[in-house]
Amino acid sequence: MRQPKGLFSNIDLPLLIGVLTLMGIGILTVYSVAYNPEHPSLFDTSQKYGKQVLWLGLSLFLGFLILLIEADMYRKFAEYIYIVTLVLLVVVLFMPPVHGARAWLGIGGLGIQPAEFAKISTALMLAKWVDDTNIKLQNTRTISETLGIVLLPCILVALQPDAGTLLVFTSFFFVLYREGISFDPLVFSVLRYFPRVKLKTTWLGTHFVPFFFFLVILAFLSLFLSGSTYSPFGIQLSGPVFLILLITLIGLLFLGFISFFGYPRNKTKNLVVLLSSYLFSVLLISSITFFFNHLAAPHQKSRIELVLGLKEDPNGADYNRNRAMAAVGSGKFFGKGYRKASVSSMRTNHVPESETDFIFCPFAEEWGFIGNLFLIALYLFILFRIFSIAERQRSVFFRVYAYSVGMVLFYHFAINIGMNIGLAPVIGIPLPFLSYGGSSMMAFTIMLFVLLKLDSQRRDVLR
Amino acid sequence: MNLDNRKYLLYGLVLFTSLLFVFKLLYMQVIDDSWTRRATQIAEKRREIIPPRGIIVDRKNRKIVVNKISYNLMVIEERIKHLDTSAFALLIGWEVKKVKQRFRDIVKNEGVYKNPATRKTESNYRPDRPYPFVKDLTLEEITRIASRLTDFPGFYEEPTGTRYYPYPSGANILGYMNEVSRNEIEKDPFYRPGMNVGRSGLERSYEAILRGKKGVRYIVTSATNNEIEPYADKKFDTLATPSPKIKLGVDIKLQLFGEALMKNKKGCIVAIEPQTGEILTMVSAPNYDPNLLSGRKSIRKNYPGLVRDANLPLFARPLQAEYPPGSIFKLLQALICLQEKQITPNTGFACNKAVVGCHDHPRATSIAKAVQYSCNPYFYAAVRRVIQPNKKKNIFEDAEIGLNAWHKYMMGFGLGKNLGIDIDTLAQRNGLIPNSLYYDRYLGHHQWAFSTIRSISIGQGEIKLTPIQMANIAVIMANRGWYYTPHFVKSIGKKGALKKYRSKHITPINRAHFDAVIEGMRRVVYEAGGTGKEARINNFIVCGKTGTVQNGKNKKNHSVFIAFAPIENPKIAIAVFIENAGSGGAWAAPIAGLMLDKYLNKKISDKEKEQAIINANLMSSN
Repeated sequence: MRQPKGLFSNIDLPLLIGVLTLMGIGILTVYSVAYNPEHPSLFDTSQKYGKQVLWLGLSLFLGFLILLIEADMYRKFAEYIYIVTLVLLVVVLFMPPVHGARAWLGIGGLGIQPAEFAKISTALMLAKWVDDTNIKLQNTRTISETLGIVLLPCILVALQPDAGTLLVFTSFFFVLYREGISFDPLVFSVLRYFPRVKLKTTWLGTHFVPFFFFLVILAFLSLFLSGSTYSPFGIQLSGPVFLILLITLIGLLFLGFISFFGYPRNKTKNLVVLLSSYLFSVLLISSITFFFNHLAAPHQKSRIELVLGLKEDPNGADYNRNRAMAAVGSGKFFGKGYRKASVSSMRTNHVPESETDFIFCPFAEEWGFIGNLFLIALYLFILFRIFSIAERQRSVFFRVYAYSVGMVLFYHFAINIGMNIGLAPVIGIPLPFLSYGGSSMMAFTIMLFVLLKLDSQRRDVLR
Repeated sequence: MNLDNRKYLLYGLVLFTSLLFVFKLLYMQVIDDSWTRRATQIAEKRREIIPPRGIIVDRKNRKIVVNKISYNLMVIEERIKHLDTSAFALLIGWEVKKVKQRFRDIVKNEGVYKNPATRKTESNYRPDRPYPFVKDLTLEEITRIASRLTDFPGFYEEPTGTRYYPYPSGANILGYMNEVSRNEIEKDPFYRPGMNVGRSGLERSYEAILRGKKGVRYIVTSATNNEIEPYADKKFDTLATPSPKIKLGVDIKLQLFGEALMKNKKGCIVAIEPQTGEILTMVSAPNYDPNLLSGRKSIRKNYPGLVRDANLPLFARPLQAEYPPGSIFKLLQALICLQEKQITPNTGFACNKAVVGCHDHPRATSIAKAVQYSCNPYFYAAVRRVIQPNKKKNIFEDAEIGLNAWHKYMMGFGLGKNLGIDIDTLAQRNGLIPNSLYYDRYLGHHQWAFSTIRSISIGQGEIKLTPIQMANIAVIMANRGWYYTPHFVKSIGKKGALKKYRSKHITPINRAHFDAVIEGMRRVVYEAGGTGKEARINNFIVCGKTGTVQNGKNKKNHSVFIAFAPIENPKIAIAVFIENAGSGGAWAAPIAGLMLDKYLNKKISDKEKEQAIINANLMSSN
């Protein structure tokens, strides 16, 4: 099996082709959005598209170099890479702020954002750590260390401040969950105070990550629905009551499922989990609604309403999103045609940052629903491919890294497009391989080529 | 524990998010088109192109109303971004306080309305609509400002026309323009805030023609409201159509001359071309320079003074003032008497001063002489026969029949009703020709006979005419029995006058009856004992009739004169009315003479008379 073939013989071609396609779309879109009739050449480096081509070339060159490096080296040097990026994240805090954030390292236009690269190094470090530790059997100390690897760059990024990247770092928790991390030590440290409870494992500790995210989403939903009313079947219901009814319905469905199909020996446990989750959800919804309607100060309330899109302020705080959504919506089914974006092109400049964080807008405006369908399908393909690559790894290190790449990419995809179409609050993070910008292009390329390299050498790993 | 299933959570998360996006995009892009509309609102602008307002020329193609371009600095509040108020104030040369106040004023001026949906009082002001921030800027001012407007998104310049009148004359004919009101904007989609609309005169009555037809351009604009490119390759654009040139029957030189003659006098001159009904001149004295009310700054400055002026310069006397006609009315009485066969051209009546006052003159042995001498008792006796035709035994019933027959004749001369001149139709007065119902109302049914109402026989009493109606009498005399409704606009573009000014009104008097009366008019001017010899001119025979209108006990009489010339193929008919000036022969006749001389001979033969009239001040004497 182990044939000493050429460097690229074991590269995963579908993934590579998928990503190269994305890069091509990116260049075309940046060219369209930033098009300057006085400098029509794609390679004119005085223009954003020329620069982006340069960044892409540089990134691909770096990717090529990465393929030359032995996969084992990443494992060996993971700590050092991690520490260097941490140092850079500290250094960057002493730099002059650009647009209110101390995110840039370098002079003038030629700068890099260490936060983009911190995602790679954190992924590598985490992968190595999980590989070295038995993540399923943890004590309070080891779990704190695991969390620390993620939280340390999180804190530094938060200090910049860069909410977007901070949010992206939470993607690593899903990777940890996939690897079976248990938060039981933390749960037990609370349960200690209940002397009669004696458990080996808890459902909460085991499934802490999805449960936590479920609650976060539920919290958002209850805030979102707090002001509105629904009238299904002709009955007037306030938003939260509607949500509770919905949860109850889902709970009852699960109950039915458990009673009919569940293993009888797990029945009690499942019922306890279901009931407690249900009660917890109801409690959360009611308390958030109560807080929002009665305790929150008016300015807090209006901010929350704005973020959730409950309040219209198309020319104030909601300016970007309102225009972005108008641009996307006006693309209609077939789009306006390449280089015909009238709302989101840089010439009209209705959508600010339409070449970076809002690059989905010009794409959606020009290619319409058909184009979007293709783009989303392409991302879906890439993400699924990365997950399946992750699943085929023998080494825990490789697998954790692959999942990390997948989840980071997914977060960027979900938050960026979500904010462009009004499903997520406006958080400035780039759309991978499409948004204009050297740091993100290089970081995502490096991240992906490291993955390709690791995957190409997956058979070298001894079980 | 089987961890393998956990990968499905991640697959599921990705799949769920993607499907969510697809459905949301399907809704946003395909099903719901509100975002498309929002995009249109944001990036595509419908720019209306307002053509320059139509110009007006006189009968000799002299431009009398033209446009002077000025500029408005417009603001769309929703496009303003980080306005540096002090820098902006400096740019437009205002104080910061005034700039802030102006924003408040714009909102305030728009007023409020009650929203029926929410039952709340809401402002009409809309931040997405353009409003003029600074109005009527000159080219120099706007050039300085416009070059820096890129620093102030939300502001842009827009050219507007201000009217300019090369001849400072004819203000009451031409009218003036002012900014449209809220109401007008709502009623007529043509108007936008800051636009001007004709407020009076021809500017108002021909507004729909003068404003032209708007063109529309669809463009793609940037966030700073700069035009980027035409929308959809100009597929939906339409061109603006400017108004055709409006040509008046007015002779502006004659108008100017008339205004000069009427300096320091109160009254009117109306001259009409008999064959066409075109008004050659309509002087309302005192008058004002129409340029005083051109442009907002001027209106603000001058309008209050004009409104407060005790001599009412804004009041268009020829159309809106009603006067007793006095002796000029005898012409019509004579015609009616002849038509009713109550007299013949050679009927004579004694000058019996017992029934009605008269001056000393030889006996009027014919209708011509009666007109010449303006004999009051003659017309008393003649009109009595018309109003008391002896058709009924009861004199009251008889008078009722007679008066109504007489009234019908008078209506046939265009009296007692709005003639329908093509300006300010609503502001024109009807005058008053009483019928039986009128007297019944005041005196009671069958409570009056000719003797009660005898003053109407000599054009006094209840009779009221507007000066334009008086001029129209001269037209009827000149044409021997017909007239076109007097009008100002000779032609709209090449289409000619409006249709209603091209149909002849025939009076109910046989043409034959006119000769005797016209002979009387000639005698007024040329025979000894005539009252209008001051109206004589070289080369042409003038036919006229004076009037001296009694005007209350302590006031001086009004001086009236109507005339036409020449006697055959008349070219001009004229009415002159001077308030509180004295006898018709003393003031109105010479003024009419000068006007006829100016129009027919193109020059004034009697310069002394001209100067004397111009210098005469008849306003201080009342």
